[in-house]
Formats: sequence, structure tokens, C-alpha cells
Amino acid sequence: MSASVDLADFLPAYLAEAEELLGMGHRQLLAMEASIRRGLPHPRAVRELFRAVHTIKGLSAMVDVEPIVDIAHWMETCLRHADRAGGRLPEASVEPLMEGLREIEQRVRQLAAGKQAAPVPPGLLSRLEALDAEGAPGGSAAKAAPAALALEEAVASRLSTAEREQLTTGATDGRRAVRLDFIPGADRAANGITINSVRERVASLGETVKVLPLSGPAAGGGALTFVLLLLTEASDAALLEAAGGPPAAVRPLAVVAPRAPALEPLPESAMADEEPEEARRGGGSLRVDVSRLDEALERLAALVVNRSRLSRAVAALTAAGAPTRELQAILQENARQLRDMRTAILRLRMVRVGDVLERLPLLVRGLRRSTGKSVRLELDVGDAELDKAVADRLLPALVHLVRNAVDHALESPEARRAAGKPEEGVVRVASHGRAGGLLDLTVADDGRGVDARAVAARAGVPVPPTPDALLEVLCRPGFSTRDAANATSGRGMGMDIVQRIIVDQLGGELGMETRPGAGTTFRLRVPLTITLLDALVFECAGLRYAVAVGSVEELVEVDAARLVWPAGAGGVALLERRGDSVPLMGLARLLGRGAADGRGGSVAKALLVRQRGELAAFGVDRLVGQQEIVLRPLEDPLVRVPGVVGATDLGDGRPTLVLDLAALGLARAGGAPHRRMAPIREEGRLA
Amino acid sequence: MSVLHVVFKVDGAEYVLPAADVLQMESFTGATPVPGAAPHVAGLVQVRGRVIPVVDARLRFGLPPVERTLDSRVVVAQLGGRVVGLVVDSAREVLKLEPQQLKPPPPLVVEGARGFVKAVAQVGPRLVMLIDFPRVIGEETLDGDGQR
Repeated sequence: MSASVDLADFLPAYLAEAEELLGMGHRQLLAMEASIRRGLPHPRAVRELFRAVHTIKGLSAMVDVEPIVDIAHWMETCLRHADRAGGRLPEASVEPLMEGLREIEQRVRQLAAGKQAAPVPPGLLSRLEALDAEGAPGGSAAKAAPAALALEEAVASRLSTAEREQLTTGATDGRRAVRLDFIPGADRAANGITINSVRERVASLGETVKVLPLSGPAAGGGALTFVLLLLTEASDAALLEAAGGPPAAVRPLAVVAPRAPALEPLPESAMADEEPEEARRGGGSLRVDVSRLDEALERLAALVVNRSRLSRAVAALTAAGAPTRELQAILQENARQLRDMRTAILRLRMVRVGDVLERLPLLVRGLRRSTGKSVRLELDVGDAELDKAVADRLLPALVHLVRNAVDHALESPEARRAAGKPEEGVVRVASHGRAGGLLDLTVADDGRGVDARAVAARAGVPVPPTPDALLEVLCRPGFSTRDAANATSGRGMGMDIVQRIIVDQLGGELGMETRPGAGTTFRLRVPLTITLLDALVFECAGLRYAVAVGSVEELVEVDAARLVWPAGAGGVALLERRGDSVPLMGLARLLGRGAADGRGGSVAKALLVRQRGELAAFGVDRLVGQQEIVLRPLEDPLVRVPGVVGATDLGDGRPTLVLDLAALGLARAGGAPHRRMAPIREEGRLA
Repeated sequence: MSVLHVVFKVDGAEYVLPAADVLQMESFTGATPVPGAAPHVAGLVQVRGRVIPVVDARLRFGLPPVERTLDSRVVVAQLGGRVVGLVVDSAREVLKLEPQQLKPPPPLVVEGARGFVKAVAQVGPRLVMLIDFPRVIGEETLDGDGQR
């Protein structure tokens, strides 16, 4: 068995999984931190984080990444103690855990880049170990641990340690631990009382620790009882009312005096394995490499091309008088199916906007620490979805906007207090649904607003009269409202980058509203999908053009001395290629752009494409390179011409044409000055 | 009800378009030529992220081309669902016109302007011409397939 081969096969999956787990870990740790600040335990977050770290450890051990295994191990130990303490974690533990996740992440990146994972940084393990000592049994956590609940075995056995402890230790500050038994039934369902409605109503009365279905004879003739274990300040009557009255019943969960010694420690694996109902990671969804979806789309494109050949063949049959009515009906049906198929594949590429934004809370947390500002991030994007390609481009723009909001727009807590605002600033990212293939998003802050006068003074322009004009000044390359560079936002505000992404790359819209002292709202409108193309970019007669890489068979150097110019070929030369001669056309001439001499001395490279199955070469001046471009189709009839697929922005803010060389050659060469009698040289002048 | 119009100049003559049809006016720094498009189509420009075709008013009006200057503008107009730009020599003014100010163009103007002028209005000493935008844009590509 060759271990290295297995490892290489396993690595991509490992990296993807680790990244996802790290993302989840960050989320949970932030949730824990938020709870700690409010002085509450968060057993679920502790548990989820534990699971994530535990899984990372297991996976890393499989690929033999010792440093990650070590870090994960100590994080896990620390979290196990927190779990035993009912989800309580000392505030001082958050930072080392965060550091642990960061270090793991860094090493995952190193592996992704084909490097070795760096050794564990000195000090980290000892900091994590120190946490372990703090949280160890016998420390503060142990005090809360030993306690028991008056529950029958059927219920008690299905509670985790953390849940048990949540119930025993949570019954303080006027809250009681109670058990509410709800028995579903047809008559209750008819009145809208179901386990879901009961859950909802109970949730408003207290904290639901656990809901357990118990089968077996129940009061009122039912066969199923839902046991809701709650921490609540509400009265029994209110709870009973929430469950639709009898046969529901409320019982207190008397906390039995602590038994000594403390509970048996959990076996290592128990926490990760118990509660299958919560182990819903990946349930019903599948991780697929985007390139596989693209491959499917490409296969589909081939089908579409084939279909058009088929329909041409049918047309020929029809013209020849063959009975093709049924064939045509099938063809039509086939066209519809292909369209549906395309839609279905495109839908596979959609990702939830909420998932795209999951990095933002971490960003804001970092900013909170580096700026010393108090800020709350609100995300309200519902279940809106976007094409993966759009989402990937959109995120950096959102990161810029959120960073600017915290760094520039929000005032210091003192300044906010002085202005009569709450000390905590709010940055809100929201989505307001979609319409006509577009998604609307806003990034709003309640900071100081943009000072139009200051912006004008800095840019050396008159005070912009409208928000649009103000935004335009802000979006000028290199514009900055700060003199000194700072760590968070660098020198510029980066608004030019935001504009480039939203407007130029994605073809979306960017707007702004701002009120001095009250805050600023950026409005983004982006298309739900875009078409990406791997393109070859080249220069011809002073302009740049792009073609799909897939359409080009070969790139060749043109040696002018070796070209053959057949008389009467209308400026088409012959290029020798592996014993064959391939017709070479100067692209400049086809594009109607100067380069009068058909022999086009400047032609240095040629792109070989298949034109109706035959190879044809197109001479260009210079190759610029290969890059991924966003294809913008040209829909206006004024510019819908054969051979031009669309336009793209290569970064200069100007449209660059995306060509279909084969189609261009066919469309232009046929009608181009191609008259037989004209000698080549005159030909050139005619062109 | 007086209607706001955008005034622009082509070869010294003044033309107007209802401001309601005009989305914006941008400075013109050149267009990306589109091979095979009609001769009066100057090409493509990118305006606030949108790629739109622009028509050269001078070429369309059969006037000799001139060097573009800093005054050159693209008047971006909405035409049903389409957005099309018109390259003009300059555009820097708006004007309110009463409907009764707009008169059918005199025959001489009709002839000279190849039917692109819908009406004329006398504004003090000035004569401004209301252009027929859809006609100026002209979907028909019959006047050649772009061969020069």
C-alpha cells in the first residue's frame, strides 16, 4: 500500500472539509463569545465547536498533519471541560481558542498551497493547556456539575450531560426547570395545536432545553407524548395554556441534592457520537466541485450544438419533401428539455447569500478589537441565493464596505455617547429579495455619515450636489478620507474596488444614501448569474480582443518569410503546419481595422480554429495572456453582429470584444473584398 | 405644462431631446468599434457598468467627422427597453419648452436633416430642433454592412 498516493487522493477532500469545519468553528466560537458577554452558557455552541474540532483532529490524523492534530487536541480538551460545565466557558478562553482556529486555518492553507504544515507556534499549546487546568474538574466548573433531576429513566437516559447540567444549573434567578408533556391528537391539530405550534409558543415563555418524543400509552388515549424540558419563569397555567390545556401536563423537575463524587467523565468519543438527531451535517446536501458543474454545462452545450445540426438536417429533409412533421414536434420538445436542463444545472450553482456572508462576523470581531469600537453586525439576508461565481466576486466588495463602515463611518464610543447615540454602532447587511434576475443588497451603518464638504475638499472638486455625484467622487481610484494608512483599511477607502466589482465586473449597480450624523447606506444590485469564460486575450491593430480558450486549437508563431501567397486568394496566405497548409487571414482586415496590406507585416502570432471542420488561422499582433472573463452578451440590435459573442471588461473600464473567430471568418471573409480578379496588392488597398 | 429638454450641439446646430428620455450624459473618451455594425454606430462604451452601443450623430447626419474634444458627450437615452448613446459635439444645457412652442419643421430643415428632426422651436433668438431619437438610432443596417 502506498500511503503517499492515498494521501494525495484524499487531500482535496480533506482541505474542503477542514475549511468547512473551520468556518463552522468560527461561527460557533463567535456565538459562544456573544453568550459569555451576556453571562449565559451556550451548550449548543460549545458542543458544535467541540464536534468541529474533534472532526478536524480525526481528519488531520488521517492525513498525518501532526501540528493540527496537536492544536485540535488541546482545544478539544478545553471544550470538553466547558461542555461539562454546562456550556460555560471563561471569557479568557475565547482568545486562545480563536488563536487555535486561526493557526489550524493557516496550516490548512499551507497544505492547500502544497507546503508542509508549520510546527505549532511556541506558547499556543501552553496557553491552551493552561485553559485546561482552569476548567478542569475541581476548578470552578466542577462546582456546578454534580446535580441530578427527577426524571424517569426513559427521559433521563436521552439527555446529554450538558443538557442535564443546563437544567440543574439554569434553575436560578427565578427560573424553574419544568417538564411539559404534550400529547398530540387529531382534535388538537384541527385547532392548530401541534408540536410545532406548542414549541413556538413555549419558546416565547422560556428556554427550551430539549424536546423528546416518547411513544407508549398517553393520557387522553394518545400513543405519543412529547416531553418538553424547559427553563422558564412562566406559571404552570401559562405553560399548560400554551400546550392547549389538558391532556397536556406540567411537572416541576425537582433538582435532587448533588451526589458525590462528580459524574463519571464522558468517554472521549461519546460527545461526538451521541444525539444522532443533531448530527445533521451534510444531511440531504452534497458538496460538489464547481468545475464538475461547469463540465456538465459544457456537455450540455455540446448537446445544444448537436441539436442545431439535427434541426438543420431535418430542415434539409423537409425541403426535399420528406414528411417531417413528427420529427419537428420531437425537435421542439427536445429544445424545451434542453432549456430546462440548462436551468436545472444553473440552479445547482446557486449558493445561499447567508453562507457567503459567514466570514463577516469574524471580520467585525477582528475590527472590534483593532479599532476599539463597539459594533454589532446584523445580517438579514433571508434565503436569497446567488450563482457561486457572482457570490465569489461579491464577497470582497461586501468585506470592503463592512470594513469601511466600522473603520471610517462608526464613531468612537465616546463620540457616539456625546452625539446622543447608543455606544454600540450597528452595521447591517440585508437583502431585499430579487426581481428580474437581480438581487438587491444593502450595507448600512448608523455612523457619522459622509461629509460631502470634506470629501470635496480632499478631492479638490466642488461640493457634489447629489448622493450619486458624491459616490462618484468616493469611487475615484486612490481616493481616501484618511491621511495616514491604517492597518484595517489601508490607505484608500477602496471604494473604487467596490465599484469595479459591482459595476464593471458584475454589471450591477451601486448607490449610496448618507445623512450627516445618522449614517450611510450603500445599495448594491447584482445579477443572480453571470457567464464566465476562460479566454485568450490578444492585441490586433491596437485594440485588445478575447476569444474562448476552448475554441482555439493551437497558437502558432508566424514566420512571414515562410508564408505562401497564392495569387487570387484575396489576401489569404497559406501557413505550413505539420505538412498541411492552413489558410491564414489577417484578423485586422477581417475586423475592418487598417492593416491595409493583406500581407500584414505585423502579424506575429496566429490562432488556429476549426471553421466548419476545417482549420483556419487568424493572424494577430500580440498575445496578451489567458484569463477568466465575465462575458456580457450584446443584446442591442445595433451591435448584434456575427462573430461577436459579447463584451467584457479587462480592467480598463472599456468594453473589450469577445470574438467567435470561426463565425467572424465565415461572415466577413465571404463578403469581404475577395474578388477574384484583383491582384493581392491592390486588394490590400481596397480593404 | 412645460417639458424639460436636454440641449446638445452637433456641427453648430442645436438639438433637443425630452429630458425624461435621457438617463445621463457622460464625457466621451472613445468607443470600442464593433466590426460589421452599421457605419453610424461608433461602437460600445461602458457607462456605469452597462455596455451600451453609441451612435455617432455626425456620421448619422452625414456630417464630416471631427476630432473629439473635451466637450464631446454621450447622451445616454432610454428607448423602450433599450439604452443607446448618442455622441454629440457638446451638451451642457437644459431647456423648458411649452408644447405649443414646438412647430413642424420647415421643408428645408426636413430635407437637410434626413427626417431626423421631428419639430423645431424658437427660443428667443435660437432655433432648436427636436430629434426623432428612434429614427436617429435606426435599427436598420441597410446602409451597408459596415464595410468601409
